[in-house]
Amino acid sequence: MFKLTGRERVMDIMNNVLLLIISLTMLFPFFYIFSVSFSSVSDVLNSEFLLWPKDWVTDAYSYILGSDQFIRSLWVTIYITVVGTFVNLVFTSTMAYGLTRNIIGQRVILFLVLFTVLFSAGMIPTYIIVKETGLLNSLWALIIPVAISPFNLIIMTQFFKGIPEELTEAALIDGATDIQIFSKIILPLSKPALAAFGLFYAVGHWNSYFSGVLYLNDPAKWPIQVILRQIVIVNEPNAALGGHAAMLEALPPPETVQMAAILLATLPILIVYPFLQKHFAKGVMLGSVKG
Amino acid sequence: MTVISSKKTLFFLYKKINGGVNVKKKYLIISFLLLVLSFMMIACTSEETTNEKETDKEKETATEPEKEKEVKVDPFDHSEKYAITGMTFRFGDPPPLSSPGLNMINERFNVDYKPEIIPQGDYIEKSSAIVASGSMPDLIGFPGTDTRFYQWAEEGAFLPLDDYLSHYETLGNIPDYIYNSFKVDGKIYGIPRYSQPYPVTPIIRKDWLDKLGLEIPTNYEELEKVAIAFTKNDPDGNGKADTYGVAIGENINPNFNMGTYWDFNAWYHQNNNGDFIPGVISDGRKDLVQFFANLYKEGAMTKDFAVLDWASTNTEFYSGKAGIFVGGVSGMSEAYFEGLLTINPDAQLVAIPPFEAPDKSKGFTIGSGYSGILALNAKLAGDEGKIYRALEMVDFGKKYYPSDTKNPQNADFDFYLGKEGTGYNMENGAAVQVPTFSSEGLSPSTYFLDNREQVPTDADINYADAYKLPELKEMTTTLQEMFESNKLYVDPSYGVLSPTNQEKGTELLQFLINEQSKMIVGQRAISDWETLVEEYMKKGGEAIIKEVNEGIKAKGYTEREWK
Repeated sequence: MFKLTGRERVMDIMNNVLLLIISLTMLFPFFYIFSVSFSSVSDVLNSEFLLWPKDWVTDAYSYILGSDQFIRSLWVTIYITVVGTFVNLVFTSTMAYGLTRNIIGQRVILFLVLFTVLFSAGMIPTYIIVKETGLLNSLWALIIPVAISPFNLIIMTQFFKGIPEELTEAALIDGATDIQIFSKIILPLSKPALAAFGLFYAVGHWNSYFSGVLYLNDPAKWPIQVILRQIVIVNEPNAALGGHAAMLEALPPPETVQMAAILLATLPILIVYPFLQKHFAKGVMLGSVKG
Repeated sequence: MTVISSKKTLFFLYKKINGGVNVKKKYLIISFLLLVLSFMMIACTSEETTNEKETDKEKETATEPEKEKEVKVDPFDHSEKYAITGMTFRFGDPPPLSSPGLNMINERFNVDYKPEIIPQGDYIEKSSAIVASGSMPDLIGFPGTDTRFYQWAEEGAFLPLDDYLSHYETLGNIPDYIYNSFKVDGKIYGIPRYSQPYPVTPIIRKDWLDKLGLEIPTNYEELEKVAIAFTKNDPDGNGKADTYGVAIGENINPNFNMGTYWDFNAWYHQNNNGDFIPGVISDGRKDLVQFFANLYKEGAMTKDFAVLDWASTNTEFYSGKAGIFVGGVSGMSEAYFEGLLTINPDAQLVAIPPFEAPDKSKGFTIGSGYSGILALNAKLAGDEGKIYRALEMVDFGKKYYPSDTKNPQNADFDFYLGKEGTGYNMENGAAVQVPTFSSEGLSPSTYFLDNREQVPTDADINYADAYKLPELKEMTTTLQEMFESNKLYVDPSYGVLSPTNQEKGTELLQFLINEQSKMIVGQRAISDWETLVEEYMKKGGEAIIKEVNEGIKAKGYTEREWK
């Protein structure tokens, strides 16, 4: 450690202040949501508070938690996230490993995977596939069609390629089968990769909403994001163009309820996030250097 | 742009996987990229061809039947059980897929009924996917502004209903002018979702007027003065300059027309040839834009109106910031009104009666009478029994109950709301639905795709009955009295189909409204009005006016009609 000169010190302070301001601008929306959700409706309408609720009320929360729908959909989302992420990791890692071995048609398979990065079938063909495979109105419709993200697969392939060939060769000589090599050698060495991709996938599942609306007919199976959308963006009719009939029909619940819903839906992932964040940073670097 | 960048990524990825390019592989890569390019071409064109195929298929199935109509079927015979599917949009939460309410319907109509009720915001996308996947349900709902109805009807996707309607008490008595307004090729392809004829019109804070010693305005000059007084003279008396006149949001909505003369939506004005022109390019609209521009200069209307959504516009008014907004005789939110009353307990709202226009006309425009259409799948043709059953259910869902028959003694009504004590309770002589009637599916009413009462034209309704808040009842009464004591203009363009309007109408209207918003904030001079109208004419307005006027003449409409 060497001593800082005056100028460097000034630089440091300015840096810190700047970073502080930036982080405050990030935190402010969260804090605003938090305060609004605990305020009374009339205080919010009246703008009688700036950042701290004038009177603490939990009306908004009792409104949301009063019906079991919110909690139920939260469980649905947790289910999809946990099961879905597990399925993602199993399929992505096994396929990625398979593609690092010298198998017949490896190039072709890789090309097909790459192809889907560029061309997705679009909403209606995908819907037809989901329908014809009988997945409609099943939670698996949110899991199976997105079981493997081609981009993640390619990066994971690169990661596996980075593991020294000698390890697998040694295991082969010791008589290990491919499955043993994969489960006992490759997987343990790939924990950081699995953690990173697990997080990518999990966040994706947590935030997915449109496939929920599209594939699930039963409101009881809707994930939390669908409910949240219902509460927050109530179907803004283009009132000016749609004529007066639509104007008075759809008004969203009070802002306090909207904010409470946002907070409740974000909270679980918000709590988990700081503990997993370091893997995110690692994940970004994965596969960038070839071993 | 995206094609190029994605090609680059592909190339990059390809390089990465193969660990660099050597010369030998060059030709391989080039041919590979060519392949990708050709795929892109295919991907771009294939969509249209599949669409065409699908519509062809639908056409075939639609034109086939008609022959078997000779068979006599009793419309109300319930001996055979039918599976009936349907889908529609809903504001608010859809009910569960199995519930007591649904069972009641299945039992009463001897059907296996599978309604799919989709949140309004996602309806267009999801219903398109369902229809494109080849499984269009038996009944399908359309929001009032959904042009897919006309396209699909023309392609023969729906069943013509003209011959069936007379069997039904409710469906058979819907006024012809409503059916006429969405006929396609002279046939009725749908059931209208009721919307009351009275428009949404301006309301004003009476308590603020009284406080400042002002009268309810009777022309735009007075309205302007009132709006400015609301801004500068502290009408709520809290000593702060925190109020203003007119609450308004994006798309110049509400449009604050004080009569048909200024209504941007109505075909009222005529050009030199005697042809009707849309209100949005009329002199009345120009005056209105000038009026808003004046208010904007004085800060007497919502400043950021151009970007304010509808919910926030409501908040501007119901938080006691603005003094002039709009209201209707039905569908007002009691929760919002209650919010206003907690902030301003003295708040009193009254209707502003229509102003006398420069051409001496006076009165608002009557509504189209419907806010959505329910169509039947063309594939039902030939299965008379099923058509009758489906229509009977639609008819029942729309049945009107006068207020003195809304009680458990009326068996139909009792069934409709799911039996007293389960789906609803009687409180002070009025039926009040239990809070969970929809979320637990306790009332059959939630499962009817169109569950709007079809109010007969001669019904004697007191709109205020629908509300609990005395202040809201009062406002509703002032609105109803005003409508009943003034004539309403019948827009001749209702039910007139203009292909150009279907194709470009919305886009053109949006263009005009955007330009007019610019005029209000002073980014474009109002003296530019004639140029704007010309631009509109060139972009397709001329064709629209020509087509609509042909339609108006074909209807035999000559004199302006007021009801």
